Amino acid sequence: MSDIILGIGDYGASKTPGSMVKTYALGSCVAVTMYDPGLRVAGMVHVALPESKLNPAKGADCPGYFADLGVPLLFEEMVRMGCQRKGRGLIVKMLGGASVMAGNDTFNIGKRNVLAVKKVLWSLGMGPTAEDVGANHSRTVSLYVDTGLVTVSCPGRGQWQI
Amino acid sequence: MEPKISCENIREAIENLPMLSPNVSRLLQVLSDEDYELDDVVNIVKYDAVLTAKVLKIVNSPVFGLLNPVTSLERAISYLGKWIVVSIILSDNTGDLFSQPLEGYEGQQNALWRHDLFAAFSCSEVARLAKQSFETELAFTAGLLHDIGKFVFAPFWKQAAPEALKRIAEGSITDYLAAERALAGMDHAQIGYEMAKHWEFPQPLQQAILYHHTPQNAPEEYRALAFAAHIGDMCAMMAGCDTGNDGMQYPLDNGYAEYFDVTSNSLAQILMEAEAQFKKAISSLSFEEEVD
Repeated sequence: MSDIILGIGDYGASKTPGSMVKTYALGSCVAVTMYDPGLRVAGMVHVALPESKLNPAKGADCPGYFADLGVPLLFEEMVRMGCQRKGRGLIVKMLGGASVMAGNDTFNIGKRNVLAVKKVLWSLGMGPTAEDVGANHSRTVSLYVDTGLVTVSCPGRGQWQI
Repeated sequence: MEPKISCENIREAIENLPMLSPNVSRLLQVLSDEDYELDDVVNIVKYDAVLTAKVLKIVNSPVFGLLNPVTSLERAISYLGKWIVVSIILSDNTGDLFSQPLEGYEGQQNALWRHDLFAAFSCSEVARLAKQSFETELAFTAGLLHDIGKFVFAPFWKQAAPEALKRIAEGSITDYLAAERALAGMDHAQIGYEMAKHWEFPQPLQQAILYHHTPQNAPEEYRALAFAAHIGDMCAMMAGCDTGNDGMQYPLDNGYAEYFDVTSNSLAQILMEAEAQFKKAISSLSFEEEVD
């Protein structure tokens, strides 16, 4: 199988029929998915923190780790695979950004990630058409190349679609 | 609420646990000594031929890409870093304690090991931010061992876990620890503490295991260590290294602020550093598994 499995800070896209792009256990991280239904190109990035200014060296080494670098890079990758530069027709979804229970502002990295991703998407002229973010559970996310279907699963909570 | 699981059966399972290997007992004693040196760790490895071979095999693996082979144990340990060596000793001498799938938690094989390892590296980073004098050296080990109770508890918990999740979702129980207590009469921290007593772990480690979800209740002398384990545990869950259906289902105890200077920025740095070290450790240790 030519599935793409993304770790923290990875991004990737596929147009191989029958394959999927998947990432495990997001925790407070956020996954952004992009899908072009016309070309059947599916892409995803798994970002861990909002801004690369927190650690520019890490940003240079692993740009997908940060929302401000990772989301534009995913978009570039989609364009490289044939999607329109203006992002027209792309279906964008956002998942993850969970928080620990009773977390204070310091520990609410999930929320900061979600806001940072939205800000970057807006700057690219995009917005998520669907999102499954926040709450207190981790998410494993799969995006299917053939259908653009996004499935989410979590131990003890089963599987659902957004 | 009448517990569904018998505490007696859990205690019996703890009593029946095999004793730890002498290497692990010695290692934990060494790490608990404030003045220990790297040589003390070297000495544990040195007298165990199998362990020595493993350490040398790992340091010379492609993961580290060294030009010249390392043949001296001292150099190997100083190159790998003591925490990777401690991880090798613990994972190699504790049977399936860390690797067994956690049935009741729906945790995959090695989920406990991955969680504990991430928590351990996070704990060491948290320890650097201590506001008062603190035995930073113990933080890594406390992180590595904080959740051992799940190993014994998981098979018992299987019958009650679905109800626990249901009650947490509907709000009749506040969090996972409370659910364990309500439905089993004990929680995994208490079970881990009983295991730690059974294995005669040093007192600070016993206390960190017992109080890793309720650090404010720890005796004052162990409270900072319990908070370090608490924050390390939270970091691992936030990074997606949880142990299954209990991921992120525990409340944060804000009392950490009295002991550690954790800000939004320093928390981000903790997560980045822990992840980098975690990745390195997982690559080295899985290489060792592959060649066996």
